[in-house]
Amino acid sequence: MAMRDLVSGAAACGDSSSSSANPLASLANALVGSSSKTQERLKEIPTSTLTDPTSQFYSTALPVNHLPGSEFDKPLLDANYQASEFLHRFRGASGLEETWDEIQREGGVAGQRQLVPAIQQPPLDGTPQRVLSSFLHSFLDSSRGGVPFHPTPLPMLGLSEGDKQCIRDRSSIMARHLFADKSEEFIDAQVNALLCSLDIDSNVRGKGPMPERFRELEDYWNESQGNMRPGPPAADGWITEFSQHRGKYDNPDSWANSFEQQHGANGWVSEFEHSQLSSVGQMQGMNVSNFAAMEQTRMLANTLAQNGDPKFQNSKFLQFVSKMSRGELIIDDNQVKENASGNWATEYDQQYNGGHAWSGEFLNDKVYHGPDQWVNEYTTEGRQHDAPDDQWVNEFSKLNVNDWADEFGQQLGEAALGDGTSDSWAHAYDEFLNEQVASKQQLDSSRGVYVFSDLNPYVGHPNPLKEGQDLFRKGLLSEAVLALEAEVLKNPENAEGWRLLGIAHAENDDDQQAIAAMMRAQEADPTNLEVLLALGVSHTNELEQSAALKYLYGWLRHHPKYGTLAPPEMSDSLYYADVARLFNDAAELSPDDADVHIVLGVMYNLSREYDKAIASFERALKLKPQDYSLWNKLGATQANSIQSADAIMAYQQALDLKPNYVRAWANMGISYANQGMYDESIRYYVRALAMNPKAENAWQYLRISLSCASRNDMLEACDRRNLDLLQKEFPLQ
Amino acid sequence: MADSSNLKSDAIMEQMKQHFATDAGKQLTEKIGLVYQFHIAPKKLGFDEVVYTVNLKKGEVTKGPYEGGKPDASFSFKDEDFVKVALGKMNPQIAFMRGAMKIKGSLSAAQKFTPDIFPKPSKL
Repeated sequence: MAMRDLVSGAAACGDSSSSSANPLASLANALVGSSSKTQERLKEIPTSTLTDPTSQFYSTALPVNHLPGSEFDKPLLDANYQASEFLHRFRGASGLEETWDEIQREGGVAGQRQLVPAIQQPPLDGTPQRVLSSFLHSFLDSSRGGVPFHPTPLPMLGLSEGDKQCIRDRSSIMARHLFADKSEEFIDAQVNALLCSLDIDSNVRGKGPMPERFRELEDYWNESQGNMRPGPPAADGWITEFSQHRGKYDNPDSWANSFEQQHGANGWVSEFEHSQLSSVGQMQGMNVSNFAAMEQTRMLANTLAQNGDPKFQNSKFLQFVSKMSRGELIIDDNQVKENASGNWATEYDQQYNGGHAWSGEFLNDKVYHGPDQWVNEYTTEGRQHDAPDDQWVNEFSKLNVNDWADEFGQQLGEAALGDGTSDSWAHAYDEFLNEQVASKQQLDSSRGVYVFSDLNPYVGHPNPLKEGQDLFRKGLLSEAVLALEAEVLKNPENAEGWRLLGIAHAENDDDQQAIAAMMRAQEADPTNLEVLLALGVSHTNELEQSAALKYLYGWLRHHPKYGTLAPPEMSDSLYYADVARLFNDAAELSPDDADVHIVLGVMYNLSREYDKAIASFERALKLKPQDYSLWNKLGATQANSIQSADAIMAYQQALDLKPNYVRAWANMGISYANQGMYDESIRYYVRALAMNPKAENAWQYLRISLSCASRNDMLEACDRRNLDLLQKEFPLQ
Repeated sequence: MADSSNLKSDAIMEQMKQHFATDAGKQLTEKIGLVYQFHIAPKKLGFDEVVYTVNLKKGEVTKGPYEGGKPDASFSFKDEDFVKVALGKMNPQIAFMRGAMKIKGSLSAAQKFTPDIFPKPSKL
């Protein structure tokens, strides 16, 4: 724009018009002028564009404000409307909180995996994590010599608030264990040195927004309010108050405190609750016991605050207690939680800065902040050192926040650990952090949902099913998977497409995807015997007995020949022994049917009667000697009953018949590993992975074998899935 | 025989029992020489727990608490999480950090509990 001004201004140079006489002036104007400022601000606040679905606030509020003449008609209504929208957000957030808790209960960090990637501001290429990791290691190393920690300058790590808070909390706790024999001052100095070089303010609590973000928020707020002035008195008052308090914000406590003073702690909260109730209409809010707990903790906080010991004044325990007393933390279901409404400022801030990521950030906060888990340790400490109010402390420990952290603390405190332990813990901790940014694929597939590949060249192919069948026959399993995915995308009801896709995945050693595909096949064709058998086998592999039994019984029930053996009412309550008896009857009925022996073999695997399973598979193999998957089943059964040498022979048969049979290669690796022959096992795992890099199990087993074979030097290649390097290092034969 | 508890961990414990009969299994007892007790809960930690003793001194897996005194370390898991750890899908330290694994006893003994002590099931 500035450029154009310059150019057009130059063209008009001879013109007498004063405005365009000086192109540089207009350039300067364009650069520093208000228009570009607005633009800058727009860039800073991605959500301010109305296209963003999360910014309903304005898209709904605006029509009301813009009705001509209506601005002054109902100022109160406007204020309420706005407030209710605002509060609506909180309700939304507490809904999220519930979701979060649910996820937490079910799958732990699996849920984080899904949400966290969205909030990593710069896409992590792994380097900052590694820098951080080695940095933290050097911090730990300093514990051995007891020497002051002199950090080296670090590049920009791009740590999020959550990361910082996390490092801050954990490092101060770790430090107290590591330097248990040192003075408090020394510990503080160590931690401060660490935090300082990581550019983490040791005093800021993570919940508080950074000052510059705050300014931005305020600007934005004022600007957005501009078109409503003279605004509704409530909103106006809020702004003033907000700006007044912003000045003091460098100490978040004082902010909250003065707010409290003005409104009275409980008055404020109940007012807040009340307004939530009335304006939103469905308030799930804080229950009475939380109020009681809050009142109690508030009293405690006061008592504790009178303790003159400066050490105690700075302790996290006191901070925790005062946080609780202000309602920022609530106790729910014996777990300390951050109160969504207590964080309204942060949340508001995030809403406008983070765009669609704000919810993720909020959840992330909850993950990292976790004062719940670590604070308990401080109760223990508090009991030892300070104990100003025994009665309350006892009560607090009864809440039993999360006793594992407690145990951890005690164990570490006892110094029961050998050398290198802290290293491995720090390493695991790094992994724990890494895990949070890891892909979410695993989660999706573990829920029985089929996960399609991203880029599929076969989409648009005129006959992907035929192509897939051809590829499958040629043994190109991963290619066949793509073609078959294209087929089922085109014809989602094609049972044969799904079935073959499931088989391809099973042969590719991916049971989760195999199950997901086979379930779709079964939906399309509920009585297909091959599908039922395949589902039975896959669930057996996943150690899911009852599911496996259900499908194997289904096989019998829908079999044209043996269906009459199975009483339909039995399917309501399946007992292994009954089903096994039926299959034995079937096998007697037609001893030359290979299939019934195969199913029987799977059944015996389920009950871990491996000798009988082996006999069944051997019998079936006499009838079907060219069935490679049958050889693999025999091998796997032998391996599971510790006849590893026989198993390897059987796998070899399977591989002679089907050289690209990934499952058999991976099973070979397992057999060698179970015999303690880790070097061999590595080669087979790598071979399997070269054929299907998506075989998750093989990656995990490879990692175990690498560390058992003392090849820790290759662990990184494994973690980075560097197949070229692994293949070069571990060629087969 | 599939028993009523139907834990996935049963399969792994069963295989572990057999594994002690092999050379690799016997080496484990020399390498570790500790007694671990596992409390496996089907759904929720602490509820309906099935207790296994994995005796890496003698090379035995038995159901029920350790009878020869105090185990060196005891672990509490949910069925699902135990399988994840035993099969190398989850690092024990990470399991611990998440609260998916609880430890009692000596932490240095617990440190020797790694995914490689369990044999891996092969797939049909």
